[in-house]
Amino acid sequence: MSLDRRSSPLLRPGLLRAVVGAALGAAIGAGVLMLANATIKLNAQPGHLLGLGYIGAFFGFLLGIGAFRFWLTWASGRQVDEAEEHAAHGTAGDWTRYLRFTTDHKVIGVQYLVTAFVMFMAAGIGAMFMRLELAQPGLLIGKEAYNTAMSTHGAMMITVALISIIGGLGNYLVPIMVGARDMAFPKANALSYWMLPIPVLMVAINPLLGGFDTGWTAYPPLSQQANLGQQAYLMAFVTVGFSSILSSINFLTTVFRMRAPGMTLMRMPIFVWALTVTATLGLIATSVVAGAFTMVLFDRLIGTSFFRATRGGDVILFQHLFWFYSHPAVYIMAVPGLGAVLEIVPVFARKPLFAYPIAVLAFIMIGVMSFMVWAHHMFVSGMAEYFHIPIMLTTELISVPTGVVFLAAIGTIWMGRIRFRVPMLWVFGFLWAFLVGGITGVYLADVPTDIALSDTFFVVAHFHYTIIGSTIFGLFAGTYYWFPKITGRMYDERLGRIQFWWFAIAFNLTFLPMFWLGIEGMRRRVADYPAELGGVNLFVSVMAVNIALSVGLFVYLMVRAWMRGPRAEANPWEAQTLEWQCTSPPPVENFEHIPVVTGTPYQYGSPPMAAIPPSTAPAPGHPAP
Amino acid sequence: MMSQRRHLLIAGLIWAVLSIVSMVLMAGIQVLPEIASKEAVVEDRTFVLLTVVSMPVLWFVVVGMAYSAIRFRSRPGDDGDGPPMHGHVGVQTAWLLVTLVMVLGLFAYGAVGLVEIRGTQQADYEVHVKGQQWEWHFTYPNGATSTELHVPVDQRVHLLIESEDVIHSLWLPALGVKQDAVPGRVTEAYTTPTVTGTYGGRCAELCGFGHTDMTLTFVVSDQPDLQAWLDHLPKEPPSQ
Repeated sequence: MSLDRRSSPLLRPGLLRAVVGAALGAAIGAGVLMLANATIKLNAQPGHLLGLGYIGAFFGFLLGIGAFRFWLTWASGRQVDEAEEHAAHGTAGDWTRYLRFTTDHKVIGVQYLVTAFVMFMAAGIGAMFMRLELAQPGLLIGKEAYNTAMSTHGAMMITVALISIIGGLGNYLVPIMVGARDMAFPKANALSYWMLPIPVLMVAINPLLGGFDTGWTAYPPLSQQANLGQQAYLMAFVTVGFSSILSSINFLTTVFRMRAPGMTLMRMPIFVWALTVTATLGLIATSVVAGAFTMVLFDRLIGTSFFRATRGGDVILFQHLFWFYSHPAVYIMAVPGLGAVLEIVPVFARKPLFAYPIAVLAFIMIGVMSFMVWAHHMFVSGMAEYFHIPIMLTTELISVPTGVVFLAAIGTIWMGRIRFRVPMLWVFGFLWAFLVGGITGVYLADVPTDIALSDTFFVVAHFHYTIIGSTIFGLFAGTYYWFPKITGRMYDERLGRIQFWWFAIAFNLTFLPMFWLGIEGMRRRVADYPAELGGVNLFVSVMAVNIALSVGLFVYLMVRAWMRGPRAEANPWEAQTLEWQCTSPPPVENFEHIPVVTGTPYQYGSPPMAAIPPSTAPAPGHPAP
Repeated sequence: MMSQRRHLLIAGLIWAVLSIVSMVLMAGIQVLPEIASKEAVVEDRTFVLLTVVSMPVLWFVVVGMAYSAIRFRSRPGDDGDGPPMHGHVGVQTAWLLVTLVMVLGLFAYGAVGLVEIRGTQQADYEVHVKGQQWEWHFTYPNGATSTELHVPVDQRVHLLIESEDVIHSLWLPALGVKQDAVPGRVTEAYTTPTVTGTYGGRCAELCGFGHTDMTLTFVVSDQPDLQAWLDHLPKEPPSQ
């Protein structure tokens, strides 16, 4: 094996070499600056050291993990070692492939998924600190600690919401669902994942750098005056943005170029459609926020004045740039969840997806319109007066395509033969949560009510209902649904049910009272509140702890099932999409023969026909090429 | 087996009853805890209207879910499928049209309210507001300044808002005012107080670690009371 050529594990591409590389890179980046500073008096600040050290650590880590080794070999004119390239794909059953630069999309999917759940729990710890502070009026952990916990929780959860479904479930499933052997660019795919550890670590350790108090929105001038933790967050977010753009290109190329014969666009599973729209949004919008954050970094580090009012900059410009990405980002978070839910509904309702073409059109319309609504975050910001009316109109209008999700879901369960397995419970939980989130969104889209509600806990409750409602309920639904496919094992149905009800009830009892708190005038991002709101806040805190405990149960039951759950069949849910025609888990290259697709994936209730031939043997009448 | 039509009829009836009852109940409520200006009345009225209109939507989905969960649950041992229904042109068209008309209606109502709150640029009284980390300063037409806001009742008050450092947001809940204070700009808000009294206000935009304590008191008073209070204030030249 070529991998064994270099005997010392320090020299082989891998996690150990990556950690050493990161440390070396940080030392080189910061060291060069310190050296220059000592010799020619550059007046370098800690921020400059952090910046160069971070860039050094980032590339050191990637070089160490071996992310560039194939491209570097190719660029230097040498032949890439085929055995090594093949080994990078990983072998089935080898757990170390999850800790390496592995190019198999299924491994990368699991890496994303596990990372997302770990971050979800880390962000949950931040939330626990917040609810500890808010459990009673007065101050406990203090204003600075509260704001840092709040900002870190937000930054972490935004990342989870951005990457969990598309990066985790999407990576694992999209190639199989469209009948491909891998993503279009497997090495770039692995690169997108391995770009994440350093920035995520950066956000996680920001309290050591003084924390940051702006929340994830990082509005200047506050973000210009805040300390190093702020800079860590800005740099990390820009990096995650690069990863997101890279992975978007990969998804789009895969969907448009790698589909199996017969897999026309209108035969694609709705989940694939949702991720196609998501990737398009990620590709177009992300560079705008990366630009805006980079401009803040430049204002902080190299003396520019993009957002410094005292020197001709414009503070509100940042908000326009930020929300021009960050509202589409809301759909980057939500649409994969909507797609996962609509994928699961027909399987457990035993009926075809209702109004499939309209649902596809609705996703596309959500994608298009999401670029026209950003300024509804700015109704009280002091932006141009005339701009309120058109933004209010577009924001109200986007609820038409979003509402189609309910048409499709309810149309599908109506007259169905609903099987209430755990994934379907999450679908119903989603419908309720996203409904509440959607309805309360109208109050914030409407300027007169938004004046009263903006920057209160009403907003906090609303976006937790939409984002947890869509992304997290969708993530749980999808994880329970595809778990047997991904691990080849089955979880305990009874524990799964308990976990669902525990989470769903605690979630609603945590966030429903927040609407009331917001109407009563409780501000968001504030460590203290009027004493008369103490009782409700204590109740909310207790319920929030229950959310955390229910997630703990989820981790327990999933880990237990993964280690020693009973073996899962290839198709335990009797679903019709391609991934269920492979074994559980699918072999390394998914299909021995690329399948030929002859119909839509939702033929429930029709006389049994081999609409989709199994992976290993071509179905009668549909010979594989 | 009950027919599709029969199911629709029963679910529709449940939906109609729940919608009408909840709409009637919601129509009478006051949502905002304190209302002391024309603008706050508009905001509260809009809130109530949105709540009333959203009731049928809420119940449509909830009844659809609950009815299906109960009546279309797969019985033990039943491993069959539902009918192969891929869509229904009438239902789809109706859904899209109804939601479209609904959101356009809500938009129109919101736009009218917006014009009522911010449409007129005329004012009887002008106060300059300055936010800084972490307190508010108010300057009155006679040049007097204070950290407590006093405004006259039954006059349209024009607030000209600036910031010394970072973004703040002047939030006067009882008056229905929330407007960011942005460095490098002068932002504006209008309010017509209708009820005299003393109220609490706060900064609504995260402005640093002191944001929590950036609160203020504001008073709506009769013209003579306001004048008397102003006469006792130290005078400084107006800030602009």
